Amino acid sequence: MNPIVVDTALVVASLLVAIGIYGLLNSKNVIRVLLSSEIILNASILLIFSMSSLAGKSYTPLIFSVFAIGMALTEVVVAFASVILYYRQKGTLEVE
Amino acid sequence: MYLTPSDLQIGIFFLFSIFALATALFIVNSKNVFYSAVSLAFLGISVAVLIADLDPEAYSLYSAFHLLLYVGATVVFLSISLVMFRGLEVKEVRTPWAPAMALLSAVAFFAVLVLSTSSITPVQVQPLNLAVIGEKIVSQYWFPAVVLVIALLTTMIEALSLARRD
Repeated sequence: MNPIVVDTALVVASLLVAIGIYGLLNSKNVIRVLLSSEIILNASILLIFSMSSLAGKSYTPLIFSVFAIGMALTEVVVAFASVILYYRQKGTLEVE
Repeated sequence: MYLTPSDLQIGIFFLFSIFALATALFIVNSKNVFYSAVSLAFLGISVAVLIADLDPEAYSLYSAFHLLLYVGATVVFLSISLVMFRGLEVKEVRTPWAPAMALLSAVAFFAVLVLSTSSITPVQVQPLNLAVIGEKIVSQYWFPAVVLVIALLTTMIEALSLARRD
């Protein structure tokens, strides 16, 4: 474990969360909102592994992240189905 | 003067950190969401490299999984599906307090991280390999695995019903 690398990972994860929150607050486009939440998901996965490398190698973050990515795939498809239905009804991707 | 493996690791980490932050900024600022979705693939690649670079011996396996499932499936699905829509240009919405709120959340989040990491004591190192991960998923984490399989199955049914014309 390289401490400089782990510290940088914590800073990068914090900045990615901030960028994701900025995107969530600053957009009314549903796809942009979905993509911003994906940025936060990526930040959280990076954070899990950086914390894990601090605490010592363990199987828990690996298995947890595998399930998280699987559920993220499901979440994207379900969210996208909702977006398609919204677009069919309203004819736009902007929320009011 | 030669580069040591540690220098190389730090160099790669800084390079991909900057790349990840730049692509994330592009995602939230691009005027066309199709380009944002494509940039999400580059963010996924950057995060996979960062995870592998944290501990190449232990996490390269997950990094490959992240590339295959997240970048290869999720982001490609998102990008290709966006072709179905017309008018992907985003209307500019400026929330005046959004940058301050984002900055505040980053500072608060980082403070919590620093406080929580100060009390971590490293545990004994475990050797990581694919066979043990598979065995642990089947024996110890079988219930989340079943939930995940059912969720993926219902997602497939949902995708089929959506693709069907009315």
